[in-house]
Amino acid sequence: MLKNMLLSATILLGASVSAQAACNFANTTPIKVQAPSFPAWVAVTDYMKTCGNVQVELDLQYKEKQPAALAAKPALYQFAGLAVNSLVPLLNDGTVRPLDDLIAKYGQNLQPNQLIRIDGKVMAIAMMVNVQHLMYRRDVFADLKLAEPTNYDELLTSLAAIKKAGVMQYPMGGTYKSGWDLATDFVNMYFGFEGSFFGAGNVPTVQGDAGLKTLAMMKALSAYMDPEFLTSEANTVQQQFQRGKIAAANLWVTRAGAMDDAKESTVVGKIAFAKAPAAHAGGKPATTVWWDGFAIAKNISDAEADAAFHVAMQGISPEMVKANNAAAIWLIKGYEPGKYAVGAAASAGAGAPPYPATTAMGLMHTALGANLANYFSGRETAEQTLAKIAAAYTVAAKEKGILK
Amino acid sequence: MRGRVFLGFIAPSLVLMIIFIALPLVSVAWQSFHATQGVFEDVLVESCTPGFLTQTCVKEMQSRPVMQAGVAVTSTRFVGWDNYRQLLQPDAVADAFSPTGHGMSAVLNIDFYNALRFTLSFTLITLPFIVGLGLLLALAVDDIAHGLRGPVIFVTLLPYIITPVIGALAIRWLFVGDGVLTDAIRWITGHDVSMFAQGWTIELMMLFYRIWHIAPFAFVVFYAGLQTVNKDTIEASVIDGATRMERLRYVIIPHLMPLIVFVTMIHLMDSYRVFDEVVGFAAHAYRISLQWLTYSFLTPDQTGNRAVARASASAMLTMLGIVVLLLVPLRRTWRDHRGKS
Amino acid sequence: MSIAIPALRTSAPLRIAAGIFLVGWLVVAAFPLFWIAALSFKVPLDAFSTNPLDVVLGPRTAAAHGGISVQSLLPLVGIIVAWAWQRRNDLTRRQKYIRIVATSFVTVLVLRAVVDAIGGPLTRPLFGITWEHYYEVWVGHAFYRQFINSAIVTAGVVCVSLTAGTLAGYALARTSTAFAFWLLIAALVFRALPHSVLLAGYLPTLINSQAILAPLWHWQATAWFFQLFTPEAPTLYGRILPVILVLVAINQPFTIWMLRSFFSSIPVELDEAAQVDGCTQLQAFRQVIMPVMWPGVITTGLFSFLLAYNDYLVTSLLLDQQSQTMVPAIAQFLNSENSAADQIQAIAAAVSITAPLFLLVMVFQRQIVSGLTAGAVKG
Repeated sequence: MLKNMLLSATILLGASVSAQAACNFANTTPIKVQAPSFPAWVAVTDYMKTCGNVQVELDLQYKEKQPAALAAKPALYQFAGLAVNSLVPLLNDGTVRPLDDLIAKYGQNLQPNQLIRIDGKVMAIAMMVNVQHLMYRRDVFADLKLAEPTNYDELLTSLAAIKKAGVMQYPMGGTYKSGWDLATDFVNMYFGFEGSFFGAGNVPTVQGDAGLKTLAMMKALSAYMDPEFLTSEANTVQQQFQRGKIAAANLWVTRAGAMDDAKESTVVGKIAFAKAPAAHAGGKPATTVWWDGFAIAKNISDAEADAAFHVAMQGISPEMVKANNAAAIWLIKGYEPGKYAVGAAASAGAGAPPYPATTAMGLMHTALGANLANYFSGRETAEQTLAKIAAAYTVAAKEKGILK
Repeated sequence: MRGRVFLGFIAPSLVLMIIFIALPLVSVAWQSFHATQGVFEDVLVESCTPGFLTQTCVKEMQSRPVMQAGVAVTSTRFVGWDNYRQLLQPDAVADAFSPTGHGMSAVLNIDFYNALRFTLSFTLITLPFIVGLGLLLALAVDDIAHGLRGPVIFVTLLPYIITPVIGALAIRWLFVGDGVLTDAIRWITGHDVSMFAQGWTIELMMLFYRIWHIAPFAFVVFYAGLQTVNKDTIEASVIDGATRMERLRYVIIPHLMPLIVFVTMIHLMDSYRVFDEVVGFAAHAYRISLQWLTYSFLTPDQTGNRAVARASASAMLTMLGIVVLLLVPLRRTWRDHRGKS
Repeated sequence: MSIAIPALRTSAPLRIAAGIFLVGWLVVAAFPLFWIAALSFKVPLDAFSTNPLDVVLGPRTAAAHGGISVQSLLPLVGIIVAWAWQRRNDLTRRQKYIRIVATSFVTVLVLRAVVDAIGGPLTRPLFGITWEHYYEVWVGHAFYRQFINSAIVTAGVVCVSLTAGTLAGYALARTSTAFAFWLLIAALVFRALPHSVLLAGYLPTLINSQAILAPLWHWQATAWFFQLFTPEAPTLYGRILPVILVLVAINQPFTIWMLRSFFSSIPVELDEAAQVDGCTQLQAFRQVIMPVMWPGVITTGLFSFLLAYNDYLVTSLLLDQQSQTMVPAIAQFLNSENSAADQIQAIAAAVSITAPLFLLVMVFQRQIVSGLTAGAVKG
């Protein structure tokens, strides 16, 4: 035990010494940081730690804890790492502060693109974007002389060909795990069919033509997926790719690097990254652009907020990006898009919309996640499922107070 | 024991249980009849989010909470049985059983009844298996050489002591996707099976996991009970010419009866709140349990909202169910108590 | 106690059937655990290989990190042979040890000579084994911190739960008022409650505890007392103490029921005699009853231990990263965005968690059975 502790102490020391140059000031105010736990945040918070007095919590359940933690007086954390959707509850509770004055003081390196403005005031800073886009096996497609699919109908044709050729039994992968993942895929496809979720006064309009088309297309795709698709999330799909089980999937761009990791992948160099397919010929890519970033708590002293923001700027500095260029699609100055960013850039360039983070959308997303599975497991028809989603949304929206 | 001394002895436990169980319970009961709503206004908001290289700004009507002194305004009011109605959906049930309805299958598509159906069958199906397997193991172990008992008891207890999260995971790894046992089944039957692709296989696996996990507990309780079987009675029954089955039926089982009741009660309570399995096997697309339903209401949705009112109603209904289930074995305790006083 | 009456000897077919049944069960009981243990020692490509033999033997692991060959298993074989051989003799302990050492030494030498003579395949690794995942978990991720937290939570729960539980269990065993009866029934219903219901109340309360408790620290009558501990009201979220109390409360109904039945099996005459000697009830409890209660207390304590050590729901929600215990830490590991290597590390961590439980059962197995025999039989 003692030996282990000594060892890890030296490892920690080693790490901080090498990165010491990163922080250009010594922080004296204790700062507590809460952020989601994934590799990009590890990189950012490691840089923040070099300023001293920074305590970091990378937490998988941050979405559940953050609203309450920031609502406490004083807030439990000064710095809240979050994504586009998890900012909404904080805005609703009024527990994050406007950052304009702090940006004027410390934000010289920020790009205009990073500032999340709500009603004119900057309420959060984005540091990276994430988007689901098409990854496919270049070698398998080439062997069968299949072109890169630009829409889902083409993709279905390719999948049929791959299956028929006997290359793979289930050539498609999908993040269709019942709940948040499945709902996200529905939202992507639904926007691809130019659907809109709400009418005036937040009335749900999901029961339309676009909803039916979306469900039909998703079900058609699921026929090419491993039958356990309702339990399959991004980790599963990533592994299916790595083990050579699937030939195509619409997967998060942050997963791209893992495909070429020789330690666990058997398909190094064989995966191509492309624009997300359109839902129908001539449509925009059926995907949404998400951002990850941070906000600063309101229920803390101004001095703490000042220090937290100052430290945060060290975390998302150009030096950090230089050292971790491949860890994410950074929005930060100095980022050089590599080969893993190609598909994401093409998707955004072709007009993939940003994920519309609003209160109503949050409720809709939850209702989708809770009710879609019955359709895919064959217990309900498309109409029944959409009706149930609309009903679940209506109950929640009335409870929340946004629907009269 | 005198009243004051008695109170002194139970005070520490009582205080803990009141603060951490009874009070939350009272608040749950209160909340199940109330609803808390936010107050929202529709405003034209310009918001900007990052695109890939350029920013996207939109002006649109958004619902925004009304703030007062930096805190979102909410209102709480009494709603009677609304939350319960929300869960039980009596109208939909009536519809289902009307001439034009789809009958039971439509009812089972309503979350609450789906959860109730699964929870009940989970509880009642595992029960005989656990008691039976526990009993068989106890009898078998009681019959083997002394030197072997230690190691056998040790291995038998492993599934019980293992952390449930890890146990469920271990079983899941055997079956998921290309797990070793899925491959084995494929190899034996020649059929491609996907254990996580349909409800009944997942349900089967959850049943299997629970039996695997709890039968050792029944075993160790019964085995301990077997150590106190009265030798004279057994001898007498042998002299009377009782067969093995008769001895089991008329001597051993009656002796173990209080323990069987004990294991049954513990098992009813634990499996009625089945939850770990649903999470561990990611079964919620196909099968949900009552506690999972409560938990999912309590999990903040994408707006940070917890459906506390509905969760409370669902919790109250769950509690009602367990009380009804326990009435049967409890009747005995009640009779004992009446006999004593 | 086995029943040694000749007429009760089991018939041969039944014995065979029982034997097969037991062996079958033992395989079912142990296999899943054996499997994750095997996975945890392999590189990802082996662990997630579609060929089960790869998972057990680990050819790629062996190539990269070496492993266990027949040759390296020799000392184990030697010890087993020596142990099996000495069992048959009636020797003093010291002689036994000397014999074991001597025999195993000789056996190893002989076998070694044989293996070397054959050479080739026997010296090559048979099972690939790598410790890198364990190293990553314990050193790289400083898992010992979670281990320490788990130890604190578990020890705290067991101590508090048994202290409060023995008192209450004893009192309830010696009373037959209606109040006591309904208390027991209430405890039973409490035990049946779904925990997620209670948690919903805990989380906001603990997070806001500074504001909620502040009056106690400012109100003159109580301020002096509470300010002895901290100058300001504490934020209880992420602290270990409230988690211990919550776990104790959740488990208390079971503890009380269990201990009550143990105390019921101790004759009332015992404490009556003590009271005749001039003891108060508390003294009688401490000096006369407790000494005969240890088997029951240990058994109940083991159940508390399992609950606290294995808990996921409460600890994952109420603790932060600094105070996190091992089980939620693993779940975090598994569910976060991760690579195959991360998953095997999580499995290695899972195996590490299981090891103390192994030891626990090995040490206390006899007490569990004898404790249950002593008490719970009365129902």
